[in-house]
Amino acid sequence: MKRPQVLIGAAIFLIALVIPVFVRNDYFLQVIFRLFLFATLGLAWNLVGGYAGQLSLGHAAFFGIGAYGLALLSKGASPWLAILGGVVASMVAAVIIGSVSFRLRGPYFCLATIAFAEVVRLIAKNLPNVTGGDVGTPVPSLFPQNTMMSFYYACVVLTIAAFAINAWVERSRFGYYLMAIREDEDTALSVGVNTARVKLWSLLLSAAISAVAGALYASLFLFIVPDPVLGIELSVEISILPMLGGAGTLLGPVVGSLVLETANEVFKNIFKEAHLLIYGILVVLVVLFLPEGIVGTLMRKLRWFKAAPPPAFAATPPPGPAEESRRVPLPQPE
Amino acid sequence: MDWLYPFLQAVLNGILTGALYALIAMGMALIFGVMRIVNFAHGAFLMLGMYATWVIFEYGHVNPYFGFLAAGALLFAIGMAVYAGLVRHVPVQAEFMIILLTLGVSLISVDTVLLVFGADYHQLNFALLGKNFRMGQISLNAPWLISFAIALLAAFALYFFVMRTMFGRAARAIAQNPYSAPLMGINIHRVQAVTFGIGAAAAGIAGGLLLPVFYLYPDVGHLFNLKSFLMVVMGGMGSIEGAAAAGLVLGVVESLTSLYWGNEWALVVDFVLFILVLSFKPSGIFGSQRA
Amino acid sequence: MRPRASAVLIVVAVLSLAVLIGCQNKGAGNTIKIGVITSLTGSQAAFGQAHKNGYAIALEEINAKGGVNGKKIELDFYDDQSKPDQAVQGVNKLVDQDHVPIIIGSYSSESTRAIVPVVTAKQVPLLIPTAVADNIMQTGSQWIFRLCAGSGDYAKSTLDFLKNNGNPKTLAIVYENTNFGQANFNSMNALATAAGMNVVDTEAYQASSPDYKSLLQRVKGKNPEAVYLASYLLDATTLMRQSETVNLNPKYYTSAGTGFAIAEFPTDKGAGKYANYTYSVSQWLPTAKWAGSKEFDDKFFQLTKTHPSFHALQAYVALIVAVEAMKKNMTSPAAIRDQIRAIDIPMTPFGPIKFDAKGQNAHPALVTQIQNQQYKVVWPPDAAEAKPIYPTPTWAERKKKGEL
Repeated sequence: MKRPQVLIGAAIFLIALVIPVFVRNDYFLQVIFRLFLFATLGLAWNLVGGYAGQLSLGHAAFFGIGAYGLALLSKGASPWLAILGGVVASMVAAVIIGSVSFRLRGPYFCLATIAFAEVVRLIAKNLPNVTGGDVGTPVPSLFPQNTMMSFYYACVVLTIAAFAINAWVERSRFGYYLMAIREDEDTALSVGVNTARVKLWSLLLSAAISAVAGALYASLFLFIVPDPVLGIELSVEISILPMLGGAGTLLGPVVGSLVLETANEVFKNIFKEAHLLIYGILVVLVVLFLPEGIVGTLMRKLRWFKAAPPPAFAATPPPGPAEESRRVPLPQPE
Repeated sequence: MDWLYPFLQAVLNGILTGALYALIAMGMALIFGVMRIVNFAHGAFLMLGMYATWVIFEYGHVNPYFGFLAAGALLFAIGMAVYAGLVRHVPVQAEFMIILLTLGVSLISVDTVLLVFGADYHQLNFALLGKNFRMGQISLNAPWLISFAIALLAAFALYFFVMRTMFGRAARAIAQNPYSAPLMGINIHRVQAVTFGIGAAAAGIAGGLLLPVFYLYPDVGHLFNLKSFLMVVMGGMGSIEGAAAAGLVLGVVESLTSLYWGNEWALVVDFVLFILVLSFKPSGIFGSQRA
Repeated sequence: MRPRASAVLIVVAVLSLAVLIGCQNKGAGNTIKIGVITSLTGSQAAFGQAHKNGYAIALEEINAKGGVNGKKIELDFYDDQSKPDQAVQGVNKLVDQDHVPIIIGSYSSESTRAIVPVVTAKQVPLLIPTAVADNIMQTGSQWIFRLCAGSGDYAKSTLDFLKNNGNPKTLAIVYENTNFGQANFNSMNALATAAGMNVVDTEAYQASSPDYKSLLQRVKGKNPEAVYLASYLLDATTLMRQSETVNLNPKYYTSAGTGFAIAEFPTDKGAGKYANYTYSVSQWLPTAKWAGSKEFDDKFFQLTKTHPSFHALQAYVALIVAVEAMKKNMTSPAAIRDQIRAIDIPMTPFGPIKFDAKGQNAHPALVTQIQNQQYKVVWPPDAAEAKPIYPTPTWAERKKKGEL
């Protein structure tokens, strides 16, 4: 194996699978569940935001549709079928969102995804007869005992699956197409990559994973309301963690989630109301000093990471005249 | 004729609200136009402007219709500082990292205000707030009118500053071509710092004007942040006059949606309108081709 | 390159330091912990702050008297960040890691609804101070106890009052599009229709908007005799001021408490004179007849320089109830649960406390009217301190009389 990131990932997952043998504390399990939930979402986001370089700030829509899919469809069917329904609904949403958004680039794309997610959230709020509105709707349990442990394992397994998909994408022709689009969409187009289709596939894959994560989340809490599962705060969190970890790298989303979610929880217990301030400072520090994310920067530093593809954003040339960076006149030599 | 007065009233209300939206959006459009920065801290700047105005009203007993000037000055300084201390140091092409950076600035501002002033809601109360002008069935609220007038003045001032001064010319030169602008002797960092400051100041002034007719709490900027994204894009990204027009349009559309369909759908209509504009005319409803 | 490397070091150092501090969080020996979940940050932080102040006052009183059975009480706060999943995480932390025998919280209905299954599974009693949505008590959990009256009680009291005072036939419901607003809308819509009223207009609105004039114009177009509003303070103020602007004149402005029922609303920090004549359902007011209300108001004012909302008082009383229930046994959740069930406190600042079989405290939902910028209880008759004034004079009449 020439891919140290895969090895490190495998090690993390092995540890994760063993943890419950030693820890029987629902709080720790839930915190780690959350770490892996966001690692999953980060990995899903990474397909679109990392490899393809399309910054989506609307991933809460896919997550929330998965959650509501389980809640609403299970009224007439088994919960596992309902999850499937949620995944399909989420992919349909991805087609709609993608068909409009992918024609746009840079900040336009980013803002379009926000707008779509907000529309989904507001519809969930405004149609109480269908979704229960803000009063909320109950969600069936996926596991007989509904223990934290079952959800913990389910989530780790889901993360492993998402990680495997990322690992495959990174080395597949499909993945190379995505990275080509990230580096220069026009050139990719000119050498015969069907960029529209490739981007859409990445979004579909991403939406499906996010929807399963959403269903898992909803089932753990047995009850959902729109804002926490569809809100922009969630979308931001889904994108911020992999970016700080290193977008377009295999380990980035996992490391980002492990480090920052842990930081968030620890800060909350120590600093109380001030925790968001500390968190904000941490975000600013990472941006200033690790602009390629934690893993991205490490990759550059350490030789044995070199086998992996280049990190996403730092090396990205301006995609087109409209999206040129305007802050400093000339590209800095690295 | 029963429908006419409610309709006219709603349009007028929409214009009054829209002028404030416009001022907020112009600040964001200026920053976006010159630097291509999607500024997620803009709502936080607005919030800081509201708090500044509130503090000098509460402790210095300065009328908010003068206090907003101080808010503008403070936010100008904060904007310059954020640029010089943070934005400037992020590598050029990491445009998404800038988004994260502004998100971090927003988190820091909101939580600092929360720690200093507490999470409590505050609002102003003075006699003028209850004054209404009535003409037949149409009525207009005095503080809304005053805020509208000042916002309009501020918007024009901003427009002339960008279009008619040396500085504005330099800023537009950077917007058009950041590579050749410095060759013409433009100090790019200084101009961008001032631009960022002015953008923040516009948000601060809008905050000061919003305060009398609204209320404040640490998270108040959030909603306006999203709305100004919509306006900036709909106006044609980076066009400040387009953003201003989009602000007025959005104000009126919201008001009419509330009247004919229901207030809870107003925001939905905002977003759908936005998506439609992006789908069919990505350069913005008022967009020239210069973006 | 060098600053980057040092930054990595700084970040790592900060993190590890934080973890170290976090791990050394050991409880002292002679204290007993009570778990508290509330919203210290996020969209509901203002109310979490009210909770925190209420708890602080109760805590000081209790520990000044020597705590429980010689042990001092310590509060173990968990910030749910105004998010339901974090509230659940809070229960898991408080129970599994900190081993608290009882939990009080959370602030909002959605967070509270989310933690009910967890406290039930973990068999820890939960005292609910402020969450009014009816679906919380409908879970049928044996481990939850709610101090406040629910949204159904709000609607019932209001309808009783209206029926006996002029009996209006048409009603418009205006509510913020949140859990609180929708819960109150659902209750009122169902009960009003059942009571034979004609609900002519229902308006949800996006909370924290600066402009509700078009919405109020719609209401005006339907010409209802009574309006029922569910709003928080600042929207309540905006709504009343803008009702004057659009000249909306129903015979009754009734409301589901909250924004319309807190001490600041009729003062200059709220709607001031525009608040006059509005009715609201009230959980508690600083002027309530229950013993200790005034003292609490004074203490709160000393602490914060503002008058307390009922949220703060409910938190205060919740802690007192928790301590009362711990007097016999302060470690076993099951024993404490049984004690809460048996509790019968004849007088607190929140009135008598006694829970029914479902865990609901029989708290009366009073109807008050603001007269001359003062809250007056007008319903039920045995608690009334003033006669209701209806129909509400039109805005023009009030201007003419110099009331505005």
